[in-house]
Amino acid sequence: MQSPSTYQRDRCVTGIHGLDEILRGGIPYGSTVLAAGTCGSGKTTLGMEFLVRGALAGEACAHFTATEPSVKLLENIRQYQFFDMNMVDSGLINVFDMDVLYSWLGLDKASFDLDDVHALIKAIVDIVNTIGVTRLVIDSVTTLCYKIKSEQLIRDFLFTLGKKLATLGCTTILISEITSATENAHWSSFGVEEAIADGIIVMGDNERMGHLLRFLQVVKMRGTYHSRAKHAIELTPVGVMLTPMLKWGAQVDTTSRWGQ
Amino acid sequence: MFEFDQNIAQQLSEVSLNSSVQVRVGNSNAFSVTASTIIPLMQMFEMGGVYISASRGAVEIIQAFEAIGVDVSHIQFVDLVSSGILGGTDVPYNNIHFVDSPIMLESILLRTLYILQASGSPRNFVFMDSVNALAIYNEDRMLAEYLHTFINTFRQREILSVIINVPDQTPPLVLSNLDLYCTDLIDRGNVVIM
Repeated sequence: MQSPSTYQRDRCVTGIHGLDEILRGGIPYGSTVLAAGTCGSGKTTLGMEFLVRGALAGEACAHFTATEPSVKLLENIRQYQFFDMNMVDSGLINVFDMDVLYSWLGLDKASFDLDDVHALIKAIVDIVNTIGVTRLVIDSVTTLCYKIKSEQLIRDFLFTLGKKLATLGCTTILISEITSATENAHWSSFGVEEAIADGIIVMGDNERMGHLLRFLQVVKMRGTYHSRAKHAIELTPVGVMLTPMLKWGAQVDTTSRWGQ
Repeated sequence: MFEFDQNIAQQLSEVSLNSSVQVRVGNSNAFSVTASTIIPLMQMFEMGGVYISASRGAVEIIQAFEAIGVDVSHIQFVDLVSSGILGGTDVPYNNIHFVDSPIMLESILLRTLYILQASGSPRNFVFMDSVNALAIYNEDRMLAEYLHTFINTFRQREILSVIINVPDQTPPLVLSNLDLYCTDLIDRGNVVIM
């Protein structure tokens, strides 16, 4: 038996340039990670690359899309060299439209009650179980939760879903849309997602003299030591690339700093 | 007729791949020193590489090389100037990559790493032209920090970094840090002390 100081949880190696280094090897297996970011910060690309790297290693992956139709998502992701449509055709990457899932379940109403939420969790878990999914992305949990009116119900939904997926050995990224990624911002839209998640990755923009520089910061990740520094990210044709953000350039731009 | 500075090739033959070379130039000899550095790297040492152009648009640099009969089509350019000019990114060369601005220092580093990762060359250089052009847009301490990161990033990856600067136009803090981090110096600065 390993001593507590040397014990390490098995990792889901994301394969994303720099991210595994930040996480000292990857995301602990079975974790539910909230990737919270502002619009255009690279959340969807990060999520897709996470799945593609898994598919390249032979893992079954699933993507539930609530923000855009799957056809549009795949068209947007085809520009990246890491993506190969054969992964979808061969069933390694499975993309599901949430609207289609709602229709299957007969959930055509504007808001969901407890029974609807349970039916939704069961459907997602059944799909994961049937296909043997080990990597899952829900994009976005914010759009999905708009249909769940009670904060308590959102909490139950996310907690139950996360617990069931972890039991199945599935590492999950829940994408969350936020309007600001500054120090005082919430890392989730409803204020409950961040408390339930095993990990939180915040993505946003640093404004530097009128230019937006994308950043990524791992705020929390249970089960591993990790860097909590801000990292600059670039969306390149080969995928997401990260480098530590310059310390003198990490502050949010203000008129007083540059204007003097 | 363009005259090469043969001594630069001689000096370059003594540096290793994980070196970082500071090249000091003056206002009048910047291109001749640049060409005398780049040409041996490409032709004598058969290296691939990335030319980061912060002082002039990449098209102008490529055409300056073409004018002296040097083909630079197999090295890649990261152009930090042309995005700031309306229509500047509409160029007839496919070895030019654009970064929005010289203040996006981390983006420059990541774009360069991406290009090097995508290139098939086993031996590469990164040519930064120039520190004083970056100093126009960036705070001294941030630029000093960046050069520290930049040099160490490429040294760790065994990629030769060559950094051009005009010493009398470079902030003292940045210049002293360059002296500290760089392993080699090619001095063609022509500084006149009054």
